[in-house]
Amino acid sequence: MKPFNVAQILFTITTTLVTDMSIANNQLALAPGYSPLAFIAPKPGSYQLPPLGQASNGQLLNTENQDIQLHDLLGDKIVLLSFIYSTCSDVNGCPLATAVFYKIKNRLTKEPLLADKLRLLTLSFNPQHDTPKAMKHYAKGLQDSTLDWQFLTTRSEKELHPILQQYQQSIQKITNEKGEFTGTFSHILRVYLIDKNKQLRNIYSVSFLHADTLINDIKTLIIAQTVSTPQQKDISSHQLIKSVQPSLLGLPKIPVPNENPITEAKINLGEKLFFDRRLSVNNTFSCAMCHIPDQGFSSNEMATAIGVEGRTVRRNTPTLYNVAYYQSLFHDGRESTLENQVWGPLLAHNEMANPSIGYVIDKIKQQSDYQGLFEQAFDRPAGIETIGFALASYQRSLISADSNFDRWHFGKQKNAISALAQKGYRIFTGKGQCNSCHTISSNHALLTDNQFHNTGIGFNSTMQPTGSTTQIRLTSGIVINVDNHLIDTVSENKPSDLGRYEITNNPNDRWKYKTPSLRNISLTAPYMHNGSLASLEQVVRFYNQGGVKNVTLDPLIKPLHLTDLEMDSLIAFLNSLTGNNNHQLYD
Amino acid sequence: MKTHTTPILTVIKSIAFAATLLSITTPIQADETCQSPYMAKIVGQEDFVYIWTLGVEGIGDEQDKLVTVDVKPDSPFYGKVINSISVGGRNEAHHSGFTDDRKYLWAGGLDTNKIFIFDVHSNPAKPTLSHTITDFVKKSGGVVGPHTTYALPGRMMITGLSNSKNHSGATALVEYTNTGKYIATHWAPTDKNLQGAIKTGKFADGYGYDVRVLPRLNAMFTSSFTGWNNYMMDFGKMLKDGEAMKHFGNTVVQWDLHAKQPKKIFDVPGAPLEIRCAWDPNHNYCFTTTALTSKIWLIYQDKKGQWQTKDVADIGDPSKIPLPVDISIQSDDSMLWVNTFMDGKTRAFNISDPFNPKQVFEKKIGEQVNMVSSSWDGKRLYFTSSLLANWDKKGKANEQYFKLYHWNGKKLTEQFSIDFTKEKLGRAHQMRFGAYSLYANKVTPSRALALK
Repeated sequence: MKPFNVAQILFTITTTLVTDMSIANNQLALAPGYSPLAFIAPKPGSYQLPPLGQASNGQLLNTENQDIQLHDLLGDKIVLLSFIYSTCSDVNGCPLATAVFYKIKNRLTKEPLLADKLRLLTLSFNPQHDTPKAMKHYAKGLQDSTLDWQFLTTRSEKELHPILQQYQQSIQKITNEKGEFTGTFSHILRVYLIDKNKQLRNIYSVSFLHADTLINDIKTLIIAQTVSTPQQKDISSHQLIKSVQPSLLGLPKIPVPNENPITEAKINLGEKLFFDRRLSVNNTFSCAMCHIPDQGFSSNEMATAIGVEGRTVRRNTPTLYNVAYYQSLFHDGRESTLENQVWGPLLAHNEMANPSIGYVIDKIKQQSDYQGLFEQAFDRPAGIETIGFALASYQRSLISADSNFDRWHFGKQKNAISALAQKGYRIFTGKGQCNSCHTISSNHALLTDNQFHNTGIGFNSTMQPTGSTTQIRLTSGIVINVDNHLIDTVSENKPSDLGRYEITNNPNDRWKYKTPSLRNISLTAPYMHNGSLASLEQVVRFYNQGGVKNVTLDPLIKPLHLTDLEMDSLIAFLNSLTGNNNHQLYD
Repeated sequence: MKTHTTPILTVIKSIAFAATLLSITTPIQADETCQSPYMAKIVGQEDFVYIWTLGVEGIGDEQDKLVTVDVKPDSPFYGKVINSISVGGRNEAHHSGFTDDRKYLWAGGLDTNKIFIFDVHSNPAKPTLSHTITDFVKKSGGVVGPHTTYALPGRMMITGLSNSKNHSGATALVEYTNTGKYIATHWAPTDKNLQGAIKTGKFADGYGYDVRVLPRLNAMFTSSFTGWNNYMMDFGKMLKDGEAMKHFGNTVVQWDLHAKQPKKIFDVPGAPLEIRCAWDPNHNYCFTTTALTSKIWLIYQDKKGQWQTKDVADIGDPSKIPLPVDISIQSDDSMLWVNTFMDGKTRAFNISDPFNPKQVFEKKIGEQVNMVSSSWDGKRLYFTSSLLANWDKKGKANEQYFKLYHWNGKKLTEQFSIDFTKEKLGRAHQMRFGAYSLYANKVTPSRALALK
């Protein structure tokens, strides 16, 4: 092998740079580690260096030809470790690592306390050439009393190989056309920062190896405490049992089926199931992905829901607040008990898409974190009934009441709602006749009649011809009209929705949907069964115009002739229906 | 073998002296035009293209797969599928990226949050599935939608698109070691928690999409798309959903690369997607394009060294939502290829003046087009068709292909096209290049240099 020719390297650098800067930029320019840092390095301690894993051990030789374990050189000091081979002629390869170490050593002559906490290790990956003697030669002039800088090699490639593997230091011998080793290697330059716990804390390569940043990282390690990795928030019991005990202001006693009395264990288990994404066929969907707690247990960010793999669901996600009081479930009322209802979304192909009941039961039974929980709650294992009972118990506990309206109306607190909201109440129960369906009783207010009505929203969506363009909001302040033919190229066929008729097959039930409670209405936008109205103002205006005329339009839906002030007051009233205990249910 | 005669100390001092004389800048440790500067690059002819492909119900084995196509011009299998590894399930296969040593290809699933790690070095013609990360959401503290898998030294930086709390667009960057060990989560700055970043405009949405770095300037940039709720929804349904359309990203964030801390949040309204940074060390800028508003944006350092953003060109007719998707910068920073999904076109912009990109060429590639990958010399451009499973066109317009074109500086000439539906493969998405020369021990000195 030819001797190392520094002059030749420098000549190449110079001529290349001068003749063609752009070629030089791509092929041969000096790494930043040789020049002053081009940016202001972040201050030591202002950032974290999370552990990357354990620094591995290995059998080494020092320049005195003594056997030494790599781990013997770790633990008492912070360590910078670089892999090199002494005959490396690429200025941006091994010489860069050694140059940066040299700079660090020189810099730390002024910081002896820091120098005392650091050890530099330069380890060859060419034991064939880099004997202890060769490494001693390589080290000439680099070591002094400033800090501990050791030059190391290995006895053989056999001893070297596992070290390279563990540190993922990739090297390849370069051979000539005859297949003979040329004495040069192709390798990725890597330098490792290792803390006193023998943990890797940073890895540097050519583009980012610089004395300034390395010294700051060393100082950061000295300053920083061990960084803890973030853990997913455990779902803890919110003592939901309390919400189902004495009645909250504004709501009656909670109806609980005799066969499934509420217990704390059931609620806690139901809550765990409710938030568990494993309860879908591909582990992406829990109940809470649509019934999002801080979005009113509904979805604020879309009109109609989507399920597993983004499959289209036709309707808006209903809130689960006070679902205990519904006599029927889903917008079309196709289920009658919460205990049975839970299996609908679990098995629907376009919701959680589990292939069978047994699949869900078996999957839960296989999870170690469910061991004993069903037995504790039910004295029997997970099954079709106990899963339904647990989820139903949790959902039944989501009781939201004690709203400002309740405090004013039932609690007789005169100033609990504004004068405007009080006027809105009078419209709600008078000129607007909203309470015909959103009922208020003498001692409680469910704000639903649990019946089905046609407001024209469903008819409009299904039967009205579509126009030639659709108004699309691209971003804040930019709305354009887009040709529907263009939209059709990326649209699936829109599924129709006939409402209650789909359950009864009675033509009179076309486009009828269940009356939702208005409690927490300010939290559950967008509105109506298909989420087609974005705000309460749009909802009030829709009813004020008398809905949309159609053959089965509910006779209660007719023009109301409300003034703007009356509509504003109605909205103020609706905004007073938010439960004051909500945060206790999910925070 | 002799020991070299010049002590290393002399070498170091000489180089340092040269550096002070020549004001030399950073080296380029490049990959073929769009990848991490930390990674080994293929500067010559690529041998293989790996295509991360989405499974489709009713087509073939219906599951996601990594498809290998032989692209060696002298190969008897030129332009043919030579390998396909099915990974199980439809995961919303999307982007992929190599580790810095280019031994492994990390390919993410935006729906199931799995990350499939393929060994591409043992036999570049026949990658194998080495390991699958299945607990990304749990480990990251609730990040959903692993998107860009970007090589940093010894580790991968992964951008998220969403979160497990509500499937909105609020998300984070997640770091893993090359061996698949979770390191850290860096949440994007929001109005509720700016994390010390400066909000320069109206938005601080905390959304994510792509990540690119300029190591010499300690700069990292992220763009912002939308959450699971939207990227998994039927495209037409979403366009007509007024609520859904309110939830697209409007920001680019500048981060301190070393500290992984957000510094500045810029308004880049209309879903900025791919970020491509200039290669020349004197070019302190990157480009991104906004999907909804159809603009090219420049992310640049001003004369005071401060990062800024500016919209510098329209792409097609923004009122017709051409939907710019993938972009590719040439290695000499002279041109930017921009694909627009809706009209199936690729457009070339002259970006010699980055503040005034000028369209110089356009061609329809298919009924729909998404990704474009360029060889390092800019002579070969590969295209694929699929954007997202539920955003692709329906019916006859749903062409699924992988195509190679040659670019002679004036026109694109098709070399081959593979019909991914006919081949029973699925939706063709992200492309990455493979080459024997990256792993073989017979390498020329210039090849060795590129690997250092």
